[in-house]
Amino acid sequence: MQKKSHTQEELSRRWENIRRNWYKFSRNPLSIAGLVMICIILFFTIFAPFVSPYPESAGKFINFYEASQPPSLAHLCGTDAFGRDILSRIFFGCRYSLIMGATVLLLIVPVGVVLGLIAGYHRGSWLEIVIMRITDIFIAVPPLILALAVCSVLTPSIFNAMLAISIAWWPWYTRLVYGIVSSLKEEFFVKSAEVIGANKMYILFREILLNCISPILTKMSLDMGWIILVGSSLSFVGLGAQPPTPDLGSMVADGSKYIPDQWWISVFPAFAIMLIVLSFNLFGDGIRDTLGVERG
Amino acid sequence: MGKTIKFIAKRLAFSVFVLVGLSILIFVIARVMPGNPARMALGARAPEWVVEKLREEMHLNEPLYVQYYYWAKGALHGNFGISLVTRRSVADDIKAFFPASLELALYAGIFMGIIGIVLGTISGWYANTWVDNLVRIISYMGIVTPSFVFAIFFVLIFSYVLEILPTIGRLTPGIVPPPSVTGVITFDALITGRFDVFFDALKHLLLPAISLAMGPLSQEARLTRASLVDNVQKDYIASERSCGIPERTIMFKYLLKPSLIPTITIYGLDFASILGNAFLVELIFNWPGLSRYGMNAMLQKDLNAITAVVLVLGLIFIIANIVVDLTVGYLDPRIGLGTERSSE
Amino acid sequence: MSKSVKILLITLCLIGILSFGAASAAERPFRTNWSWPTYIDPAVGSDFSSSTALVNLYDTLFYPDIKGDPQPHVAESWEVSADGLVWTIHLRQGIKFHDGTELTAEDVKFSMDRLITIGEGYAYLFKVIESTEVLDKYTVVFNLNHPFGPFEAVMYRFYILNKDLVMANIERPGPYGDMGDYGKQYLLTHDAGSGPYMVKEFPLEEYLLMTINTNYWIPIDPNAPDEYKMIGTCEPVTIRTLMSRRELEVADRWQPVEALDALEKINGVKIGEFDSGLSYYYMVNTKKPPTDDIHFRKAMAWALDYKTVLDKIFPGSIQSRGPVNQSIPGADPTIFQYQRDLDKAMAELKQSKYYDQLDKYPVVVAFPSVPADNEKMALLFMSNMADIGIKVETLKVPWASIIEIMASEETSPHVAGVSVAPHYPEAGSLLESRYKSDSVATWEQNEWLLDSKFDAMIEEALKAVNREERFNKYSQIQQYIMDLCPTLFIFDMMAKHPYQAGYIDWPAARGEVIPVMGYNLAARFIKVYPDKRAELLK
Repeated sequence: MQKKSHTQEELSRRWENIRRNWYKFSRNPLSIAGLVMICIILFFTIFAPFVSPYPESAGKFINFYEASQPPSLAHLCGTDAFGRDILSRIFFGCRYSLIMGATVLLLIVPVGVVLGLIAGYHRGSWLEIVIMRITDIFIAVPPLILALAVCSVLTPSIFNAMLAISIAWWPWYTRLVYGIVSSLKEEFFVKSAEVIGANKMYILFREILLNCISPILTKMSLDMGWIILVGSSLSFVGLGAQPPTPDLGSMVADGSKYIPDQWWISVFPAFAIMLIVLSFNLFGDGIRDTLGVERG
Repeated sequence: MGKTIKFIAKRLAFSVFVLVGLSILIFVIARVMPGNPARMALGARAPEWVVEKLREEMHLNEPLYVQYYYWAKGALHGNFGISLVTRRSVADDIKAFFPASLELALYAGIFMGIIGIVLGTISGWYANTWVDNLVRIISYMGIVTPSFVFAIFFVLIFSYVLEILPTIGRLTPGIVPPPSVTGVITFDALITGRFDVFFDALKHLLLPAISLAMGPLSQEARLTRASLVDNVQKDYIASERSCGIPERTIMFKYLLKPSLIPTITIYGLDFASILGNAFLVELIFNWPGLSRYGMNAMLQKDLNAITAVVLVLGLIFIIANIVVDLTVGYLDPRIGLGTERSSE
Repeated sequence: MSKSVKILLITLCLIGILSFGAASAAERPFRTNWSWPTYIDPAVGSDFSSSTALVNLYDTLFYPDIKGDPQPHVAESWEVSADGLVWTIHLRQGIKFHDGTELTAEDVKFSMDRLITIGEGYAYLFKVIESTEVLDKYTVVFNLNHPFGPFEAVMYRFYILNKDLVMANIERPGPYGDMGDYGKQYLLTHDAGSGPYMVKEFPLEEYLLMTINTNYWIPIDPNAPDEYKMIGTCEPVTIRTLMSRRELEVADRWQPVEALDALEKINGVKIGEFDSGLSYYYMVNTKKPPTDDIHFRKAMAWALDYKTVLDKIFPGSIQSRGPVNQSIPGADPTIFQYQRDLDKAMAELKQSKYYDQLDKYPVVVAFPSVPADNEKMALLFMSNMADIGIKVETLKVPWASIIEIMASEETSPHVAGVSVAPHYPEAGSLLESRYKSDSVATWEQNEWLLDSKFDAMIEEALKAVNREERFNKYSQIQQYIMDLCPTLFIFDMMAKHPYQAGYIDWPAARGEVIPVMGYNLAARFIKVYPDKRAELLK
């Protein structure tokens, strides 16, 4: 009987929290803008085959007689050097880019964050030493170079590019969390929790992690863009998504040869990347601003 | 001071370990790459015996750990083997290309640091006003655009259309370079009093350095802002305000230092990574740098060059890490230098 | 510091930065660009940029004319024995190397021995040479191990080094016994030649700067460039900027179509077009299913849309006629050309044993990521094959990976899109390097033909010292290849070099084309007019 009401209390408290957070979040128009933009992007991404004016442009389609057309009513973003409609390719390209970013992040964030938590909390112990030194070894390689090295060993494809980037990127989260945890460890609220005798795991996850969420989210939203850009650099060199896959990064890289005359080939996909990253960043900032105060 | 020295010594010791680990990691990756690098270097029609000879010389037919042994032995004497692409010793190649990249990174670093932190501070101090939002949007654009796109745009605007800045190279052809003291042309020029060379070199550095700096400076602006906003809400700031301490003092004395911690962490690492990630910009400006050399090495499977370049870049990262840790330790004394254990 | 002082300082700095303009020491600079690396050691370099540099820095025994025929150069006269095994060369007297010493038979022997011993670069062309002898100061004898018809043509790749200079700069110990490193380290950045230009500066990977040899033994036109700089970059935007600022005279041939269009719009810039002997092939693996079936291959040949390739992707190029580029001496002008005919394609496909299982046998086409237009070619191919039901997958990789995957039968793709040029100006060179059994596993053959009848035919042809006889044999071989249909012969690639027609005179752009790689950029025949350049810069 008592348990039930305790749970009910918990639930209603959480609901209050969420409503309060939402209120704070919605006060900043930029944060709302970010959320809206993400929703729009997701909509176009999921329904790409239906909203694209020329869905076949995303696949094995060529039409050299309509190649390199500037933006017009028929092709809102123009056509590329192969005659494919750029707007349609952007819609499909969003899919690949989002999937690439999400997959890489899904792989590296749990691993990196957990390692960073452990290392940061157990400062001075051998655990910390081992974890941080391995992190150092991987961090010591510039990520682009490491990704390049891994990619040149494997057959070029989007999946191998994701793998390469993951291998190069995970240590940054460890380092970030480690830095924050080390400084947080000495803060008052942590000490007080320790004094109370709270479980180590509880401290780690409830108290410390909550405080890491903000920088982690910020970094994740930034990384969304970085990962797409690293993919672009890999494509510039010839390792990455295979043609005719419409990957936004490849589109920018391939189109850079035609600047400034056929500027639309690079500019519109770059704009799309920018919008994706912008929306995630605004959203991430909003979250951080909201959760930032809700502490202690 | 004693603690600092102990800290540095400890980290250096670990760094050696890290370098060795890195060398093994890269060595394995480089050697495990499929293909016959000797054959590639010598061309399609070279007779088999010539290829075999080169393979023997490079110990390519031996098991991996034997190859590593030969390589490590050479490396300890500063001999990193012969590059399959340039056909001369990798050590010579690195001596030739490293200073160029270093110079580029230095100037990019200056732009990054100054502009990035200043922008971020302004943005954070005036958080949620139009100033803040404007800076945030500008920095997003900076973050999202790859450096090679900036490079291409800058070349087109300043070199092609306006023709006020040069396109390629470190110096204008015809200008006699200063005697090579450090290899960094601007320093050499200043040291030997050749001011015309100094300005000419600066002209050539401007576009590539800014192209490289755009991404990191935007990131720093963002991080500084985010961190400032975080800290402004902290209790100690509120208490300082209630004590009547003027805003300016609060900003510069109490707020900036801890807010810069994430920024400095990223700055150090961004600076080191500029060296490694600059290859596309170096390509566009025909800059004879280490990054471009490394990229070519990777694409042409130039094993010795790949290993050496990654190690050099790794060494720089490690040094940057140590410097960052020292700086962070200074800025937030609570973190200390890791030599004190928390009272548990 | 007061505000006004600060402003003054900043203004001074800006003035300083912006005012130091370009200072060019050369009066008639000539600059081209190419991709890196460039090897100026005659025993090491064999690609385009290396060949271009070598032609300018060194001299050869014979010099090719626009028909590819040998004209006396260092060799004043020469004869071959009746059995074709002994070639006697009489050298011109009084030719001086860059350091002032005279070129004698000793130098010729030394250069040949060195080339064969080191074995890199073009050495494989001289496998036929058994030994070299010095008869007297100006007479050299080459003893061959079998008669070799294209001997003179091959000699365009043999450059004569200054023996004393190289010997004085040998590093010991080295891999060549008492010859140490055979001077390889020295020749990496120096030249030991007698040619019309000498190495002035060579920062590797950046540029190669050569300056004119005022004591050259042939009088050079006073309008020829006094400095020749080869710049190591191919980025389209960079090249375009350099061309418009008149800081580049001739650009490389690999610029994408759109860049060429833009370059042509620059005042005074034209696109010099000529056939340099390079052809683009879709090399089909004859040992891997489904392309091991000749009907399958013929179906592909009938389905390809050659017209669109020539109209849209590589405008200006001409369709290939068989395996040999039509500008090469020995190419047979009667060879059949495929045209797109879907009915004939389907008819062939139906005869193939894979007809019912096309889905299970996708065709993988691999191509290098540079130049960019390769990708258009591959996607067109994909689309054309889809018209007859053949599935295609593309594999776009850097050049180094192409070489790798073509190196073994298992990893080599069904189709490799590669362009190949002959090593010396004769059809036999191309036929040998493309289809002979010893060239499988190289990037010049993806067919894995391994046909002993072909090997015998080409060997016989090369032995024929009589030119007519040799060329007849070439024709038969070309016909034989056509019957086997091991390759999709797509187009003879026009070299399209953007160049400054407004102030330079380039013989190759006027149609005086030498069919040997590198010789069209022999700077001593190019004229530069700095006053016209100044006009354009206004």
